[in-house]
Amino acid sequence: MSEIAGKLFSWVNDRLPIVNTFERHLSKHPVPSKVNFWYLFGALASVVLIIQIVSGIWLIMPYSNTEEEAFSSIEYIMRDVDYGWVIRYIHTTGASMFFAVVYLHMFRGLLYGSYQKPKELVWIFGCTIYLAMMAEGFLGYVLPYGQMSYWGAQVIISLFGAIPYIGESLELWVRGDYYISGITVSRFFALHVVALPLVLIALVFLHLVALHEVGAGNPEGVDIEEFLDDDGVPLDSVPFFPYKVLNALVGIGVFMTVFAIIMFFFPEGGGYFIEMANFQEANPLVTPDHIAPVWYYAPFFTMLRAVPDPLGGLIVMGSAVAIFFVVPWLDRSNVASIRYKGIYSKIALVLFGVSFLTLGYLGTVGVTEVRKTMSVICTVIYFAFFLLMPVYTKYEKTKQVPKRL
Amino acid sequence: MIKSLCKRTRFLTFLSFLLTIFFINNIDAAEGGPCKDYGDCDKFKYSLNDMESLQRGASTYINYCYGCHSLKYSRWGRVAKDLQIPEDIFFENLVFDKSIKPGDLMTGAMSDNSVNWFGVAPPDLTLVSRYKGDDWIYSYLRAYYEDSSKQYGVNNLVYPGTAMPNVLLSLQGNQRLVCKSVPVIANNGGEKRDENGNTITNEKCGFLEVQEGTGELTKEEFDTLIYDLTNFLVYVGEPIKATRERIGWYVVFYFLIFTALASLLYREYHKDYLK
Repeated sequence: MSEIAGKLFSWVNDRLPIVNTFERHLSKHPVPSKVNFWYLFGALASVVLIIQIVSGIWLIMPYSNTEEEAFSSIEYIMRDVDYGWVIRYIHTTGASMFFAVVYLHMFRGLLYGSYQKPKELVWIFGCTIYLAMMAEGFLGYVLPYGQMSYWGAQVIISLFGAIPYIGESLELWVRGDYYISGITVSRFFALHVVALPLVLIALVFLHLVALHEVGAGNPEGVDIEEFLDDDGVPLDSVPFFPYKVLNALVGIGVFMTVFAIIMFFFPEGGGYFIEMANFQEANPLVTPDHIAPVWYYAPFFTMLRAVPDPLGGLIVMGSAVAIFFVVPWLDRSNVASIRYKGIYSKIALVLFGVSFLTLGYLGTVGVTEVRKTMSVICTVIYFAFFLLMPVYTKYEKTKQVPKRL
Repeated sequence: MIKSLCKRTRFLTFLSFLLTIFFINNIDAAEGGPCKDYGDCDKFKYSLNDMESLQRGASTYINYCYGCHSLKYSRWGRVAKDLQIPEDIFFENLVFDKSIKPGDLMTGAMSDNSVNWFGVAPPDLTLVSRYKGDDWIYSYLRAYYEDSSKQYGVNNLVYPGTAMPNVLLSLQGNQRLVCKSVPVIANNGGEKRDENGNTITNEKCGFLEVQEGTGELTKEEFDTLIYDLTNFLVYVGEPIKATRERIGWYVVFYFLIFTALASLLYREYHKDYLK
């Protein structure tokens, strides 16, 4: 029996690079031997991606993408479908957790210079994934067709209207109707479940292929390729399997515990993960008292609001995301990790972190004069972090990076 | 320990974030709460395993609310089952339309005239506990007061200008807004007194007080009634809530064990390259 299986395997392996791929990307793939918890969020992001795809498939089955039934089909899932509530809460919690781990993953990149040569493409694919995720999250948020789905979509789609000349036609083209309706819901459904997941999977594939080509980084910013053993394997590395996999497994355990606590005990996340107003069916005649985005868009929403002119706001918000793409060319430092960078970089990163969190907070609360001023200040700090990067990274005193990990 | 923590960038980041939020919220009073003129909403703690409370709440709902407010995402039989009411007793006592079957949705008993009567159609309340919150419902239903300027002679502190009449008036009695003398509080937190040591008082208005003898229930009984009703609305907003919280413990426990085993395995393998 085992002989037949062995023959069958080698028959397939002669025609498909199974062993080669497995060795190259898993069992023999060298990863730095010393990394910290910041290096877990990439693995966690792929776990959430799988969770979202699987729970999404099961949600599609009972969901109805029509104006009349979208909202009630969600309640049907929550009440009448066996364990439908589990699948739905997995998907809503997963959405927030996806952004949480991706934000931490991105911050890791800024912390340890994971965008520096030769990892520019890895970084750019990553930024594109983030962009696709933002679109995916927005489209998905419209599908339950609650009040926040409707009015959130209204606000976001009307942003297109701020673009000169083509704005209004573009808005109409995106909506497919003169106002948000069942037509909008069903096209968003198609994009959310087919188009963007395909894009995301393709991008994640490219992100990983590019990463495996140039090798993973480490918190010291040491190039482990400099010292190789006789077989050409870096001395400061361990094979991905089983060492890195087991390391990730611990991270996954902690992550899933947090995930389960949220999902089973705080699925609404205090109104930040599922907004309270979204338990009311969409009503084009009644505007909610206060339209707030879910927490993961909040920083960008605050920047949009900080600028009085709609087109200006749109440009600021767009640039806030777009600027991430050019970070590899803004950082002129001769070291990668924050551990060896100078004091200016450290201060800049702290200010950036604080302003980003503050912008996020401001996006979830109402506007007052003081908050408006704060959002302008934080927006300025946010952009200053990037725009001044060529200056402060070049003219600061850096520490000597060790040769080995 | 603290010194080494302070050196850490992430600690500083977190600290300055907290300070910023503190700063924003302190110089800038937040907007009015959801309970409007009532002030802070009364806190409500649901007890979804208290079947008697839920059963009383269901009965109050069906007798006093269901005439106008449907529960259109909920099914009759599910309510009977979840609240552990035998189906025959449930259908005999709480379901007035005998053509209804257990699998039917609770679509309401209201005719299309409702808009003419109240100015707005009474909303479906299946999810009211989820979009308004249980604190809000618990406060709202106890915050009606006499106001002859309104169509139904009543107004509400939590929802000023509400279109709903006080359906529970006969139970609660006639509640009115009254003024009271309250002690003035000094800056140090104590009561302010004059030279003779008497407490200085101010007249303050806006207190709710029920006229004695006008209602069938005492204040405590009425509060319990509203508690049960709110509890039922929390249940109907998410029937699986009690089960969810029960299963949750097992899932969390499972992942804790998983994490423990994974880290033991990791530590074992980690020894390979520690040397």
